[in-house]
Amino acid sequence: MNRWRRSVGEIQARRRQVSECEQAQSALSKVTACYQQMATCLGSNTDGSSLREELEETRALAHRICTGMHRRLLALLAETEQVQEDREQVERMWVLFLCALENFQQDLRKVSILQETFPLGQRKDRRALVNTGATGGGSEVAGRAATVQTPWVTTEGEKKPDLKSHVLEIDGLLQEMLQRVNVPLWSVEPTQNAWGEGCGDAQDEDDTLEEIMEVEVVSQDNRASGCCNHSNCKLGCIFCLLN
Amino acid sequence: MTIRNVRDHGQRYRPRMSCLKKMEAVVLEMQDPKTGVKSQTQRLVITTIPHAITGEDIVEWIANRFKIDAAEARAMGTMMVAFGYIYPLQDHKRLILKPDTSLYRFQTPYFWPAQQWPVEDTDYAIYLAKRNIRKKGLLELHEQEQYNNLHKWMNHKWDFIVMQAKEQYRAGKERKKPDRVVFDCQERAYWVVHRPPPGTISGMDCGLERMVDPNQEEKKTSEYFRRIIIFTQQCIMRPRVKSSVSIGALVKYTTTYKQHDPFLYPCLPSNPWLTDDVTYWHLNMPNVENPTKMRVERWTFSFGELLSDPRGRADFRLFLKKEFSGENLAFWEACEDLKWGAAATMQEKAQQIYKTFLARGAPRWINIDGKTMEITVKGLSHPHRYVLDAAQTHIYMLMKKDSYGRYLKSPVFKETQKKAVAPEAHKFSEAQLEQNAKKRRPSLSPIILRQQEEEQKAKLAASGPVDITQLCRYTAPVPHLAVYTGICENQTTASPGLMTLPNSAACPSPISVAIDSTPASERRFDSGPTSSHFPSIAESTEASVSEESQPPAAKSRVALSLSRLLRRGCNAPSVFASLSPKCAVTAGGGKVQPLGEPLAQPQPKRIANFFQIKVDIPPECRIYPIDSEDEEEESPGAARGGVKEIICPWETVTKHDGAG
Repeated sequence: MNRWRRSVGEIQARRRQVSECEQAQSALSKVTACYQQMATCLGSNTDGSSLREELEETRALAHRICTGMHRRLLALLAETEQVQEDREQVERMWVLFLCALENFQQDLRKVSILQETFPLGQRKDRRALVNTGATGGGSEVAGRAATVQTPWVTTEGEKKPDLKSHVLEIDGLLQEMLQRVNVPLWSVEPTQNAWGEGCGDAQDEDDTLEEIMEVEVVSQDNRASGCCNHSNCKLGCIFCLLN
Repeated sequence: MTIRNVRDHGQRYRPRMSCLKKMEAVVLEMQDPKTGVKSQTQRLVITTIPHAITGEDIVEWIANRFKIDAAEARAMGTMMVAFGYIYPLQDHKRLILKPDTSLYRFQTPYFWPAQQWPVEDTDYAIYLAKRNIRKKGLLELHEQEQYNNLHKWMNHKWDFIVMQAKEQYRAGKERKKPDRVVFDCQERAYWVVHRPPPGTISGMDCGLERMVDPNQEEKKTSEYFRRIIIFTQQCIMRPRVKSSVSIGALVKYTTTYKQHDPFLYPCLPSNPWLTDDVTYWHLNMPNVENPTKMRVERWTFSFGELLSDPRGRADFRLFLKKEFSGENLAFWEACEDLKWGAAATMQEKAQQIYKTFLARGAPRWINIDGKTMEITVKGLSHPHRYVLDAAQTHIYMLMKKDSYGRYLKSPVFKETQKKAVAPEAHKFSEAQLEQNAKKRRPSLSPIILRQQEEEQKAKLAASGPVDITQLCRYTAPVPHLAVYTGICENQTTASPGLMTLPNSAACPSPISVAIDSTPASERRFDSGPTSSHFPSIAESTEASVSEESQPPAAKSRVALSLSRLLRRGCNAPSVFASLSPKCAVTAGGGKVQPLGEPLAQPQPKRIANFFQIKVDIPPECRIYPIDSEDEEEESPGAARGGVKEIICPWETVTKHDGAG
């Protein structure tokens, strides 16, 4: 009954807000994924002050998205008169947001400890960095993260907290969210089926790790059995262009 | 949001693994460009990746750094691989260090095993989803199982997991190709350590979670000091032993057991943990037909060893059966059952034990001294788990001092020794060892093992160890029993009724026992032919019974003493003389009937069941107590199909007083 009472404008506004939140959710996902990818470089030979700066920037971006989303979702959920399908969607977003926050917080903790374990202040610290075989830092990934836009205007200028307090802040946020809104976590149905992501969009011709590594074994064994004596030639004669 | 289990009793802290911190320090040392491990470049088809190290270089570095030999260095290196600080580039599922040119690489610190954060299932789910995206559904079997499980348990956050997996996948693609390969290797290695595929031994077994964070230093509050004080006081109060004595005991123990210790001496045929060949376990199953020589040797070390090995206990049981003193072991086992069994059945069990072993006139009466008996019976009025401890210890000592020695000299044991197997040691080649490792399978589930145990017990119960050889017409008469009439026919399901206790000379008074259920009319004691043989007995018994007869309500069951039997002038003395004093022998007069029968009564099945004393005797074989006749006339010796039950003294207080 209430649905008919609300104006078209209201409904549209609400729908806009919901889609904003959806976009924010995917943006958050993107940012946290990039953050994680960069965090794996910490402590390795590619670690450096630039990497850490990029990490900070990404974290700030994530913080902005999080706070905005938190506020909007609360507002959406707080409305008592709900349309049914809307409610489900909003609840799902709520739960996914909680999961994302938790996941991000875990990464933050790891980063915080790693940064302490591998301080870059002095020259001798660089010798202690682990040689992992990586050559590039996470700058490409940082670039990707930087392209993420928050779907709302970023005039909400909240100061980004430093790492440790950020972790604690998320803790508090999670607690508060669980207490304020009574959404049972298990009531959320996923939209994706199991194994759905595998048979999805046309993947590019991406070699699996096994294939890449397998070839390596073969090439190691018969290094001399290339068709020619060129050191990089591993192919059969027919395709060899290195002569 | 992760739904956390709140019923974990606050046990959320992972145990301290102090080796991790130390290992990290070593790994960092290995990085030093001058003094660290030599690194090479790994050549792949598409690219080359630096910082690969060979197994032999690692071993050499460790050996030099710590001044240890190559084998120990290799073991230490394997530990580093097992924990995930270094990962193999070839054969990535086997977390060992091969001291040859196989390549390894260091793991990035993000993926190091750490105490502070346990490995989350969410991350694993994301990883599996990523792999699924990459391999388009062709995951390995164990990964598929895990995926399905996680999908079930994390259903509510599955959208998040898929979304995150896609984003992480795309983020990973941003990097340059060699770095992508490196990252993929790292991630894969991380999950091999923390979610090992079947057949991989990971080093991350760390035991139960703790209630208190073991990594945190305890604050020295007054509570802490109070605890320390109490602990030290208790230490002081402990009884002390001279070091010469305790060291002597240790030396004795080590000399006795050293060849049986798998760490010090090789197991025959081979140690399954080392060679992955399970012959050793098959040869040492609890109920194997022919035990190994080492196992049999262990039985000679002490009585405790014999009893604790199920095969040894079975052998001992067999020996006791031949000696007609099986009730001691049965009693001991019953006490163990009481001690370790469920609380719900404790009351019943205690009663059963009393009725079967302790009461006067009990079918398998054990011989304990008066004082212990008194204490036990008193304790049985309020039974608890340890109420039979005194009696059990007494019987244990009895068996140890008496039967054990004879067992070790007995033909039963010698037979077992002769038939014991002495397997040859295996000599596996490297290739065979690898083969064995591939064929590793999990052992039988404990549920199945328990079921097998129960079946074994039931079988044992059905085949029933009896204390006295059954002397019915189906078995040959035992030559040393002087009198044997073998008259077993036309006896119906009359039960044996009374048992005479040859050892009860001390207190010959009859037990007055009330028969609860069956009314007098039903109690028939079919003993036609018997009466004709020994009319004198009947008369005298009758006379004696009537002396002590109780009011009609209480049907008394007379326990005849040795003296009374002698009075009757039957061949009892010879009978008793020839039979083992430990047996609960029936006052069989001229008729020695099998004794196992009381336990096979149809009506009170519950009496002896759990002792597995149920005996499968053809109904014709019976024990005929001497005074069966008077039972019939007077009363009720046993119900048809029933028996005079022994009721525990605390149950029938009123009727008990006359029993003297």
